[in-house]
Amino acid sequence: MVRLSRLGLWGALAAGVLATALPAQAQEITVAIGSEPSTLDPQLRDDGGERQVNDNIYETLMARTADGELVPGLAAQAPTQVDETTWEFELRDGITFHNGEPFDADAVVASVARIIDPANNSEQMGYLNTITGAEKVDDDTVRITTSGPDPILPSRMYWMKMIPPAYAESGDIGAAPVGTGPYKFVEWDRGNQIVLEANEDYWDGAPEIKKITYRFVGEAGTRLSGLMAGEFDVITNLLPEFVPTVPNAAAVDGLETSVLILGTDNEVLKDPKVREALNLAVNRDAMVEGLFQGHATVAGGHHINPRAFGYNDTLEPYAYDVERARALIAEAGAEGKTVRIVGENGRWLKSREQVEAIAAYWAEIGLDVEIEIQEFSQYLDSLMGDGPRPDAIFVANSNELMDADRESSFIYHKDGAASSNSDAEMAEMIDQARVTTDTAAREKLYHDVFQKGRELSYTVPLFNLQDIYGMSERIDWQPRSDAKLMVKEMSVSN
Amino acid sequence: MARGAHFFDELVRDKAAMLGLIGIVTVVAVAIFAPLIAPYDPAAQDVLARLKPPAWAARGSVEHLLGTDHLGRDVLSRLIYGSRITLMIASAVALFAGALGVTIGLVSGYLGGRADSLLMRLVDIQVSFPGILLILLIVSVVGPGVTTLVVVLAITNWMIYARVVRAIVLQSRQSAYVEAAEVVGCGPVRVIWRHILPNLVAPLLTLAILEFTNIVLAEAAVSFLGLGVQPPATSWGLDVASGRDYVFIAWWLVTFPGLCIVFTVLSINLFAGWLRVTGDPQERDKRFARGVARRRPGTRAARAARAAEGAKP
Repeated sequence: MVRLSRLGLWGALAAGVLATALPAQAQEITVAIGSEPSTLDPQLRDDGGERQVNDNIYETLMARTADGELVPGLAAQAPTQVDETTWEFELRDGITFHNGEPFDADAVVASVARIIDPANNSEQMGYLNTITGAEKVDDDTVRITTSGPDPILPSRMYWMKMIPPAYAESGDIGAAPVGTGPYKFVEWDRGNQIVLEANEDYWDGAPEIKKITYRFVGEAGTRLSGLMAGEFDVITNLLPEFVPTVPNAAAVDGLETSVLILGTDNEVLKDPKVREALNLAVNRDAMVEGLFQGHATVAGGHHINPRAFGYNDTLEPYAYDVERARALIAEAGAEGKTVRIVGENGRWLKSREQVEAIAAYWAEIGLDVEIEIQEFSQYLDSLMGDGPRPDAIFVANSNELMDADRESSFIYHKDGAASSNSDAEMAEMIDQARVTTDTAAREKLYHDVFQKGRELSYTVPLFNLQDIYGMSERIDWQPRSDAKLMVKEMSVSN
Repeated sequence: MARGAHFFDELVRDKAAMLGLIGIVTVVAVAIFAPLIAPYDPAAQDVLARLKPPAWAARGSVEHLLGTDHLGRDVLSRLIYGSRITLMIASAVALFAGALGVTIGLVSGYLGGRADSLLMRLVDIQVSFPGILLILLIVSVVGPGVTTLVVVLAITNWMIYARVVRAIVLQSRQSAYVEAAEVVGCGPVRVIWRHILPNLVAPLLTLAILEFTNIVLAEAAVSFLGLGVQPPATSWGLDVASGRDYVFIAWWLVTFPGLCIVFTVLSINLFAGWLRVTGDPQERDKRFARGVARRRPGTRAARAARAAEGAKP
């Protein structure tokens, strides 16, 4: 009896193993992402896991091509600027949400009102802070107003997902999302998986892949072994070392730039000489080659995405010059002084390794370096909280707006969430740039800001990172430069 | 002195225990003389020479006997220095947890009554509280680090000492010599110090050594979770943690620190097993009897012993 039931157990186990090891059926794929969404409400959190799922369910007025060019999405054409603070969007006709609600001017007005409602306290407001409201002109026309002139409003509308107004009021939008996109929500088995199915009535044609299963796998090694075992079809953040190992890999210049923000008011770092020395001490080329195996490029002297508007291409990357760095430290009388670096582990490609490597470089020029790798929520407090600024804090800053406003407001502006300086003059320039509509004048302002940031070494810019994906043999996909995991662009061969 | 030599004789006869002792001595010596033995500074990195395999593998070189890690640091040097932190933390924790547990056990067992119930309920509560949760809680409030780690592990590991000590104290409290001491008028301090404490030495020593291995494993686990030892300091658990992402292409990153943990824990356990028997007169008599029986042919015990060793009678 015992033996029989044991046999049965083994049989069941074997069947289970076989079932999971078999590749998913044709036109069904399994995607492993790094973290489980905290919610599926598309308007509340600034959560990468949530976006990786919801980008397939929801849509926005403006979209981007795979190369990053801004094109109309739910809008019928590029918006027109009515006056300095008003933009008019013409909407595509005949689109409905998955639950049958029509997508029209009312839906846009409700979406805007909901996300900017202070009661909702949306974390995404960092991308949308100039927007003051929306009004309906007719069923297919909507005007969006801003607090001041906002030249990059169209890019901002690439961020804001459109929700069905009635369902957002009455339904549980955080647990069962309803959008206009190519995929419909099926189920969310918390802690395990999320399943989506194709929206056959999608306005831009039904997608080729019929079913997506998302799994949440935090460990890079576990994602890799799942891919090798045939359990997953697409995995995110593949380590560069494994690119030759996996059946199929693709890398694309991403949106993230890694940088250390220096506490310029802190005891040791208030001397610009020390800050310059910290920059000169780091051998960035060796890190690109060693740590990233070429899947990154050295940031050009400031922590801005090279494709973003406002990038100053006249600025050179910092040289690697240990002798000069040591001399500067000696000049500043900072030998043996303690510098504390704060970092985290797992959120970004090799974030911990970058911090450890830089700590070792800094130790080499005669500083006493302390590393603190914090748990992610604690790390976010250190990065954006009101506490004292750390000497140096690591962040890989992502620029979804493709505009220098993002990085400069976040890190250089003295009131920015992650800023560690108190330079009022620079803040003034950034404020000015945000409301300047003349493109050339605006670009000039940003160039000046970054020139100043480089001269005073407010940050230690590191790398423009690539996004690396691992894929199974049967997936054909060219990753997008905006890091969106758009399943409708993938195709499956058998 | 003669007694020491006698113990040593016994130890030499027990091969497993002897190996254990040699293992312990090796690890301690490595920890003490780390700067003399280690070929490199454990923090010296070379990102262009990262993930080099051990010397005997295809791309390996004798420059780095056990290869290099993900930042090009020498694995062997890191293991050598890692032993320092591991041993230091484990000893400190054994000391603090032991001191706390013994004090509470003594008070509890000697006073009895309400104090006893109160203290033992405290032990029960602490035992039923998941240790890792407490560690997470404390570390997230205070921040990670070696000091925090020692305090936290001491707080989660003192209970077993209290229980063992209390049991022994209760036992010896009933004995004739303690009663006699009390009748002659000895105060509680003298009774505990002169008449009860000596009974505790042998079992406590064994317990502390066994607990030591638990702490080595706990330190590794907590550092693995990123809550213990912080870089640039190094520990075996931390090395396993940072190497695990590369397991597919660099097996040496997790294998060697893992083996170090196994080696240390195994050595200590082998030695502690012998020590337990040696420290307990009854167990020692049994072992002695077994030894005699084995040497005297013809008895049942000898046959059994030989059969166990695979020899024909």
